[in-house]
Amino acid sequence: MSTDADGDADIDAERAGETDAAGGEPDTVLEAEDLQVSYGKVTALRGLDVTITEGEIVSLIGPNGAGKTTFCNTASGFLGYDGSVRYRGREVARVGQTELVEEGMVHCTEERDLFGYMDVEDNLELGGYLQDEAVIEDRKEFVYELFPRLDERREQNARSMSGGEQQMLAIGRALMGDPDLLILDEPTLGLAPVILQDIAEALDPIVDRGVTVLLTEQNVTFALEHADRIYLLENGEAVREGTPEELKGDDYIRESYLGG
Amino acid sequence: MVLGEIATATVTAIFLSALYAIIAIGFTLIFGVGGILNFAHGAFITVGMFAGFLATSDAFLIALPIWAGLLAGTAAGALIGAVTYLGIIRYVRDRPVTILILTFVIGFFIIYAIRIGARDVFGVNDPLAIPVPQVMGTAFLNDVYIFVTSWLLIGLLFYFVNYTRTGRAIIAVSQSDKGAALVGIDAEKINLITWTVAGAFAGYAGVLLAGAFGNGSWLMSIQPPAPLILSFAIVILGGLGSIKGSIAGAYIIGFAETFTVNFVPGGEQLAGVSSLVLLVVFLLVKPEGLFGRGAGE
Repeated sequence: MSTDADGDADIDAERAGETDAAGGEPDTVLEAEDLQVSYGKVTALRGLDVTITEGEIVSLIGPNGAGKTTFCNTASGFLGYDGSVRYRGREVARVGQTELVEEGMVHCTEERDLFGYMDVEDNLELGGYLQDEAVIEDRKEFVYELFPRLDERREQNARSMSGGEQQMLAIGRALMGDPDLLILDEPTLGLAPVILQDIAEALDPIVDRGVTVLLTEQNVTFALEHADRIYLLENGEAVREGTPEELKGDDYIRESYLGG
Repeated sequence: MVLGEIATATVTAIFLSALYAIIAIGFTLIFGVGGILNFAHGAFITVGMFAGFLATSDAFLIALPIWAGLLAGTAAGALIGAVTYLGIIRYVRDRPVTILILTFVIGFFIIYAIRIGARDVFGVNDPLAIPVPQVMGTAFLNDVYIFVTSWLLIGLLFYFVNYTRTGRAIIAVSQSDKGAALVGIDAEKINLITWTVAGAFAGYAGVLLAGAFGNGSWLMSIQPPAPLILSFAIVILGGLGSIKGSIAGAYIIGFAETFTVNFVPGGEQLAGVSSLVLLVVFLLVKPEGLFGRGAGE
């Protein structure tokens, strides 16, 4: 079975139909089964299985090139794939990228993809493009409470901000979309420890608002501290899965990712 | 005496520049949003002119007044913009070189179709001189009309882009295609709107341009004042993708041309050259243009 990002699918209709009708497990937010993604001849994901349930913070960890970003981009409808990835029981290739956002899957990319020539306020307001005015105001207040630095820089252009501030803005913009599932792709990459702390502290209030989080990280320590469950990806495959406690006790993880 | 000449030239330049601004605005809009240099822009202008001709001539039994011609030109421009995007551009959006070549080819197809249509279907004796009336009775009033509507329409466009929800989405797409997709903006829809609006402006400009210069021509996109080349020069001066920049660019070129014609010995021969000289100078000295980038700015 294969599907394109734009929804021109030669999906196995029977299987997709079953899934739609069944709606998946009631508390399953995102589910990937035997997910395969290739860039030309290069295979990025090789039969990946991932399940994320309501209210969890699930982290995908692994080295550069493990397939973490590819998974995020596939789940949010930017890439075609083989196998299956379902959001709230619906095959994402059939939903379409814009509708996924409408349905509450909001992706904060590794590159941030901010509107660089717009100020903080405009970036946030556009983050709520599909929301009504009341939600926008409520969310904006929440974001400014979460990241007071953004509040201080409301009229500053995104491109003139530091990397850490841009990251806060990217997360803030994603929150404006009233997410049900928030995909945070490498939010701590290249950030100073003090900023990292700010972002870490933001996670709990986000989850408290009923948001499920998919967090990809190269910073294994960060993931172990904040995730409920973790998948270790290597070469496009999940080679370990478990709670942080389980993985901390895993010899391979300790030796390869936690410096022994 | 000299002061009087300068005053007259200034008024002429102000009027001419308004026409130039409206000629270039669609070109800058499409570049600003999609990063596309639309070399079919001149052909869109020609389509507007030809629709204006069809409406105001007796080609379809009744010769309608020029107001209907303006409407027809605007509608035809919008239609050709939308069809070009939906039929071709959206399939090659991520391939800038392909788009560049395709817009050239589309432009040629359109103007040759107009040439054949004018001569063989609608019986125009000379497709280099397709009659389109000016809007107002006198040249001066016509200039005033162009000036007023140019500012009005560009003001409306500026308001639309900066203060409406769809307009904000246009700016968002112009700054980050993927960022726009991430917040749920349908880039496809926004691009279609942009091409339609740009086409409408081009069509409207085509009718005005033909009226102001006496008549239209199937080759008008490259005949003086050569709106395609003019648009290119204007947006380079102003900053590719900037509406404010395009207006500034139009006025700089309008003034440069008018003053060259009026005050440089043999200037009449150099009218079109001054915009090209400015184009080269800006490309060398200030390639980002006066206002940098940003569709709405």
